[in-house]
Amino acid sequence: MRKTAIAICLILIFFVVFFLQVNIFSSFTIAGISPNLIVIYVLCIGLFANQFFGISLGVLFGLILDFVYGKVIGTSAVMLCVIGYLGSYFDKNFSKENKLTIIMMVAGATIIYEFGLYFLNSLILEFDREYFAFLKIVLLETLYNILLSIIFYPLIQKTGYLVDRTYKKNNILTRYF
Amino acid sequence: MNRNRQTEILGGIVTIIILVLLIFLSNVETNKLSFFESAVSSVVNPVQKVFVDLKNKIQGNSVYFENIDTVIAENEELKKRNSELETLVRELELIKAENTQLQQYMHLSDKYTNYNTVPAYVINKDVSNYSSTLVLNVGSDDGIKEKMTVIADKGLVGHVISVTAKTCKVQVIIDSASTVSSTISTTQESVICKGTLENDQILRASYIPTGAELIQGDNVYTSGVGGIYPKGIIIGTIKEIITTSNITDRYATVEPAVDFSKLDTVLIIVDE
Repeated sequence: MRKTAIAICLILIFFVVFFLQVNIFSSFTIAGISPNLIVIYVLCIGLFANQFFGISLGVLFGLILDFVYGKVIGTSAVMLCVIGYLGSYFDKNFSKENKLTIIMMVAGATIIYEFGLYFLNSLILEFDREYFAFLKIVLLETLYNILLSIIFYPLIQKTGYLVDRTYKKNNILTRYF
Repeated sequence: MNRNRQTEILGGIVTIIILVLLIFLSNVETNKLSFFESAVSSVVNPVQKVFVDLKNKIQGNSVYFENIDTVIAENEELKKRNSELETLVRELELIKAENTQLQQYMHLSDKYTNYNTVPAYVINKDVSNYSSTLVLNVGSDDGIKEKMTVIADKGLVGHVISVTAKTCKVQVIIDSASTVSSTISTTQESVICKGTLENDQILRASYIPTGAELIQGDNVYTSGVGGIYPKGIIIGTIKEIITTSNITDRYATVEPAVDFSKLDTVLIIVDE
């Protein structure tokens, strides 16, 4: 019961994050580059909920993004699926208590997502890849994402552990050893 | 321990199946999935419309409270300008009539047809930093189909890539996946205009013929080759010509006529 409620809440929160991204963060840019809240959100689902939720919600949100904006269907879904999996992988291997590890995770996830998406799109749509210009965009976006994750770290951690407790009652010990 | 291993393998297999399904899905043409697309866009876009209306309203209010004296002065000036323009319009109407008559003599009327257009608002812009797709508030209910050309008051914007009942998705010419076959006004040389990542107000014109002479400030028009864009719509002006050591590699940067950062109303050409 509680698990279903949390799953519905996670989907509703996605829409809040999505509209924040479209309406607010598209105007607050650093040198014309806006952050990617959706990557941070899917990474957090992977980190704090379980692997199943990370992957399935990643695919669902990716498909929504593709249907609203995409020139091809499925590329964002694949990459967000990877990010969801990456979240659960990080959860098994690293501590979530430390601010620095969260920052590293967000940076890694953003870089992997953007490069993967650009590469997949360029394969399907057959356009020329401009590595230098793209690298500049990704680095700025990663910096912005890191900044946001530092600002929202307390909020993410608090709500995250609320979800964490529901899904991982049995293996609390693994987090400390 | 054994159970954990089993679930891990199961998880791996499920993930691979999902990924393979997505690969198939990405190869299906978008119009075959338009049911899902309509479902998603009917959830997202009405809410987005409310946000856009709200934003427009707030912007409108702040303008209203600006200094009223300047508005009065501007009004006077505009009235004067209006009367000037009215006389100009009358003159131009005469010239226009004369022009159509002359064009008919020259059999040029098929080249400069007036397009039937449908006006539309931009209600959503792509969230990613390197891709530019627009979502407009008109769809198949208003007679919009795929591959229709989208223009703004000053020039070419892009073309429709998918349609739902109430909305449509537009790929703009500054998108890095977009290519437009185009002609240069003075020399009639054909080039290919592509979007770049470096600057979203710049197009790159490549495949310039080796013998061609380009001049800064020349206008660039659509050539009509390729079957999407009709002939003779302005794309922009040549800003700079970049020569490389090999003359076949040289390219020019083209400044689009439309300011894409401030784009909010567009026209869609509906007649074939």
